[in-house]
Amino acid sequence: MVLGNYKNCVSARAADPAILSASQDGGIVTQLFAFALEEGIIDGAVVAGPGDEPYKPEPVVATTVAELMEARGTRYTICPNVSMIKEATRSYGLDKVGVVGTPCQIQAVRKAQLYPMGMRSVGDKIALAIGIFCMENFPYQGLETMVEDLCNVKMESAVKMDIGKGKFSVYTARGAVSQIPLKMTHKFEQPGCHVCLDYVANLADVSTGSVGSPDGWSTVFTRTKKGETIWGGKAIEAGYFETKPIADVKPGLDLVTKLATDKITKNQKTLDERASFGVDKGLRNPYI
Amino acid sequence: MSKVVEISPTTRHEGHTKLTMQVDDNGVVTRGDWLSLTPVRGGIEKLAVGKSMHQAPKISSRVCGICPIAHTLAGTEAMEASIGCIIPDDAYLLRVILQCANRLHSHALHNILSLPDMYIPGTDTHINPFTPEEPVRSVALRIQKLREVGQTVGEIVGGEPIHPSNPPRVGGMYKNISPPRAQIKIYDLAKEALPLAQDHMDFMISVFKDWDARPMASVAGGKEVEKTEKFGFHDQGYMASDTLYGSSSLDLDQKWYPERWTEVRPWDWYQGELEVSLEDPDYPVGGTTPPVGTKVWPAMEACTGVPLYDGAPIETGPRARLAMFRNYDRKGAMGLQIARQMEYMDCLYSMIEAVEALDTNGKVVADEIPQGDGSLGWAANEAPRGTDVHLTKVLNGKVEWYSLLVPTTWNFPTVSRALEGAPWQLTEVIMRAYDPCVSCATHMMVVDDSKKVVAQKLFQ
Repeated sequence: MVLGNYKNCVSARAADPAILSASQDGGIVTQLFAFALEEGIIDGAVVAGPGDEPYKPEPVVATTVAELMEARGTRYTICPNVSMIKEATRSYGLDKVGVVGTPCQIQAVRKAQLYPMGMRSVGDKIALAIGIFCMENFPYQGLETMVEDLCNVKMESAVKMDIGKGKFSVYTARGAVSQIPLKMTHKFEQPGCHVCLDYVANLADVSTGSVGSPDGWSTVFTRTKKGETIWGGKAIEAGYFETKPIADVKPGLDLVTKLATDKITKNQKTLDERASFGVDKGLRNPYI
Repeated sequence: MSKVVEISPTTRHEGHTKLTMQVDDNGVVTRGDWLSLTPVRGGIEKLAVGKSMHQAPKISSRVCGICPIAHTLAGTEAMEASIGCIIPDDAYLLRVILQCANRLHSHALHNILSLPDMYIPGTDTHINPFTPEEPVRSVALRIQKLREVGQTVGEIVGGEPIHPSNPPRVGGMYKNISPPRAQIKIYDLAKEALPLAQDHMDFMISVFKDWDARPMASVAGGKEVEKTEKFGFHDQGYMASDTLYGSSSLDLDQKWYPERWTEVRPWDWYQGELEVSLEDPDYPVGGTTPPVGTKVWPAMEACTGVPLYDGAPIETGPRARLAMFRNYDRKGAMGLQIARQMEYMDCLYSMIEAVEALDTNGKVVADEIPQGDGSLGWAANEAPRGTDVHLTKVLNGKVEWYSLLVPTTWNFPTVSRALEGAPWQLTEVIMRAYDPCVSCATHMMVVDDSKKVVAQKLFQ
């Protein structure tokens, strides 16, 4: 169950080369939202758009494909997407809201749907929730230190960052690649990530990430009826994606399962330790 | 011989009140007091002192969940009037849309509260809004739809229909709405509601006229009593600052005058100590105050101040607005009810006009927001129930002094006068015609909650 409930899993990438030109992996999120916008499945989506500083994302409500394109690429720092889901139904006047987020953000969306505290008429307007795999996240200052000090790259020069194969890599516009072992990044991790028990966005309609598929491709889980209809029934049929069965690609689901198990085991241990953190007292556990 | 009867609590209005009445041998009221029993939750006016001018209107919004828009807007605009801040046009238009949306929902909600007193025209059947039977079912659904439209528009423009979050802020609004979707959505909703509101207004007016024409009536299925001719008439004047929105001390042409306002304590206004001498256990539902001999003391129990305009109580609300600005002249409780229904169309037409005039790319926050030098500013908002005036003094961004004169507070003594001459069994119908909002009306300190005694005589 470390991969959550799902109906189907494939390796896929967007058919539109314009999307792929700057996407992190297979351009799944951008392509799927673009498709949903064109089809009227959503009338806008909360995505991580460009912020004031390089690689500092800002949640925005995108209502055009052009705005979606601006949000391509992973920014390894916090972007409070859930802060915009209510606003999307307010001054933006959306009736069908798309939202992308890390596993914790998808959890927040689902919780807001079931227990809408101060979330009046938001729940029934969530039309499509796309989750992205997430091992951990970094505060902006942590990311800055990793890129500027440890990788020796100016933030302004970076065009892509990537965590994979045990390394944190930064690519510059002029073609340089700078890498550090992941071990060096651990102290910059956001402490709240250490109690997270979800790797592949178990609660999303569709979740996607790089692990398990080759470079330029993404691993995609379709989880809910809605996700299945939109992805399998419509987008694939209309030719928006190229797909391969996940069993035919390397490293495939085995690696996804291994990383998910590692994350959950490690963080469960952190959670367990919180119970006896002090002497005769512990720290709060949000899961009980 | 005069007897004392008391209906406590009263029902089908917002908040907690009672009617303490002296009646003659025929059960006709000779002197009536309608008073608030709502324990004041801390006294907004005292609490706001020292808080920031941005926070105070958000606190005063929490006075009432039916008309929070009125308190937010009046509060914010009083702050703006005190510091001398002129807001951009598009911020004003957004506030107008919000105002219309709130009035639409509030009037529709009040229909639900009033209908059980009324009859299906031409029959002797009281209207039960909860019945699944026609024709009442379609009326109830229509009311729900009108309220849904009001609240949804409030949600888009105000961020939240109950306690608007996004706007308003001192200096304008936090956000403009997003073109074109939100603008189109407001259009669509208003257009959808227009024919419904037209039908609904016609229906409601026929219901109230039908009641007015009856010689006998009862309160929601209780005992039939003979009605009097001038049911709910009073000789008090009217007060209104606008037909739709309001006025403030920043206006060139101000329509409310602080120098005409005085306030007295309930001690000076309401009846002294009385003893209940008439009891009717059949009054729906649960009877009147038992037992005979119970001591009551309106002057000590009332939880509101008594604001006067030109030294006398006045009526405020839909009829006051229509009487002052549109020459409306129907008197009595049903005259007020009918005036309320007549405001439906204006809510929707004004909403459409404002959204048409709105530039969704326009600026909504003033470039400069002064911090205030302690001068007095006031703003009157035409709340669904009447003129809601907030007065304040802001110094260096902090509230120095704050006072709320809320519609139902103005109406309390007027209603008390309007009770005279009516059979006591029907006095709730008069009170209900004013669409009382008692939590709005109340802002003083309760000293002893268990005895419900408010130390207003001692309170400075």
